[in-house]
Amino acid sequence: MTIDRRTILQAGASALALGLAPQGAFAQAEAYRIGALNPVTGAGSPYGSGMAEMIFAAVDEVNAAGGAAGRRLQVFADDTQTNPQSAVLAAKKLIEVNKVNAILGTWSSGVSLAVIPLVNDANILLMHTSGAPALSTPPANAKGYGYRFQATNDRFGRAFAEIAVKEGYKRPATMAFNNASGIGNTQGFKKAWEAKGNKVLAEVVYEPNQPSYRAELQKVLAARPDVIVMGSFLPDTTIILREAFQSGANVKWIIPGWAANPQLIRALGNEATEGVISVDSVANEQSASFARYDAAYRKGQSQPGASNVYAAMTYDMVITLALAIEAAGPGAGTAQINAKIREVANPAGDKVFSFAEGKTALAAGKKINYEGASSVLDFDEFGDVTPDFGVFFITKGQLERRYVVKI
Amino acid sequence: MAFWIELLISGLVAGLVIGLSALSITLVFGIARFPNAATGDTMTVGAYGALLGHRATNSLLVGGLTGAIAGAIVGFLGYWFIFRKLAQRSNVALLVASIGLAFVLRAILGVSFGHSQQVFQLPLVRPWRIGDVPVHPNDLVLAGACATILAIVFAILHLTPIGRRMRAVADDPALARVSGISPSSVMTVLWLLAGAVSASAGIVAGIKTVVSPEMGWDLLLPAFAAAIVGGIGSPVGAVVAGLLIGVVQEMATPFVGFTYKIALSFLLMLVVLLVRPRGLFGKLEGAR
Repeated sequence: MTIDRRTILQAGASALALGLAPQGAFAQAEAYRIGALNPVTGAGSPYGSGMAEMIFAAVDEVNAAGGAAGRRLQVFADDTQTNPQSAVLAAKKLIEVNKVNAILGTWSSGVSLAVIPLVNDANILLMHTSGAPALSTPPANAKGYGYRFQATNDRFGRAFAEIAVKEGYKRPATMAFNNASGIGNTQGFKKAWEAKGNKVLAEVVYEPNQPSYRAELQKVLAARPDVIVMGSFLPDTTIILREAFQSGANVKWIIPGWAANPQLIRALGNEATEGVISVDSVANEQSASFARYDAAYRKGQSQPGASNVYAAMTYDMVITLALAIEAAGPGAGTAQINAKIREVANPAGDKVFSFAEGKTALAAGKKINYEGASSVLDFDEFGDVTPDFGVFFITKGQLERRYVVKI
Repeated sequence: MAFWIELLISGLVAGLVIGLSALSITLVFGIARFPNAATGDTMTVGAYGALLGHRATNSLLVGGLTGAIAGAIVGFLGYWFIFRKLAQRSNVALLVASIGLAFVLRAILGVSFGHSQQVFQLPLVRPWRIGDVPVHPNDLVLAGACATILAIVFAILHLTPIGRRMRAVADDPALARVSGISPSSVMTVLWLLAGAVSASAGIVAGIKTVVSPEMGWDLLLPAFAAAIVGGIGSPVGAVVAGLLIGVVQEMATPFVGFTYKIALSFLLMLVVLLVRPRGLFGKLEGAR
């Protein structure tokens, strides 16, 4: 099954690359090889196939515009299974067998943290959508080859604090899954919340795969919080919310969007999820780049592009990378391309919204600033971006976006 | 006081799941004499079986029976195609074979059902309050189901002729054999029973948590700890030790926190093994 799917994906990838690229234009230069390493199966599966598809769509767009610095982009796709061990095997294969120049689109911090050492050793780029703060700094990002298109967990925590203020909560408690991402969320919240002169009443860090989380809940609920801020994932959130409801707790929840999603509502029903606040980064919906992405996503997945913010990120990864390749000029290696990424994505410079537009501007000798579909894509010194956050309230089983928080 | 009672209840509920899976491990160990690492994934098979049964009929009872039958079939097939052929080998060979079977089962479940979580769609109910202590009605149902399963297993072991033969084989395989007890019929019943018991543990865990292909494997370690603490081969010991581990873990959380509570079950195992190497209810094995 696994082999079949990979074979098919790869065959599809090569066929696409060969069939759609105008062959004559690329007679000279060697193709730039991109590894699309996405969570096609596992916990990230609601997003993974869309993420992979948007890498192909963006690559088609770049190749149709004549490629980057005379080079055609070529994609090799693989599945992380949302599992660090499988992701490492797949990354090794992409690096050693397919000789990719960059890996794009890893999802979940455990996966990205496992893959980034391989990427550093191979001197190639990693563009990911994971939140763990550790991915910003050495040792993980020692060479500065890692770029994050999603907000850090720390920024999520800051957004949670803004929301808690806005909603008038006074007595928050936190619960975090014991890993870099979960604790990153609640620590980020605590830091921002205490900086406003407030206090967190109770904090619990819990272990995965427990038959029950009653004792953990009991400790948190004993502090009588009015809201519980979570750094969690889907399975543990399902169990904890169910047990909280069944123990009669009347408390509100602020939960990251990858845990408080339609699957959670399906698992627990409308009553137990009513009023839960789900927070996720939102795409740069007013931009022309989003409109291009949205059209491609609707074509491929028959769903609005806004339903999968991670696919907007992988789309941006390809465009940003291609613009950097273009700016670095023919024959550039990883270091030269890496040096151009902030140059093409950050201010100052003319705002551009597509690869073709950017390529023309670069050819005219202008400085450009790519404004992405997922966010305005301005990378800080750690390679992190600051997207806006959508605040969704679960109402009668529907995720209803009420407002957007900027940090 | 209510605080501690609540923790005690949490512990008992967690302990029931551990105890049921430990019971399956100990049944196999007592008679087939090797630690069966496929127990965890047989639990998972049970949970998926029950999920299908429940979805098809909307009856938890039918679902539970479907799951138990699925587990029993997997237990039997494992015996018939793998463990029977390796019966004369060392128990390390059997252990490794059981780990292999575990991987195969997990892969089959992953491919057939996907890796996304699935849940039993049961109505969520608010708790009853007895004094200050919230009691979940669903937990009472599960506890009742566990008690019934235990009663059935002990009735089979102690009240039926095949149970008597199983206990005879557990006691002394050579003596049982010369007394005219056919090992293959005993083994068949044993594996059916062990499969059904692990499946029941998986069903209970699946209802309490979420069903995914990895769930059983993740619960295997505390189950082994309970089987050892209870005294390997002792069904009563396994259940008591499972409850004990659950209760000790939860009651200790105010002191050691939630990260280290898991280490406690192994600390408990160490202490028991040092003070009483045969476990709480285990019997001394004579030198061979």
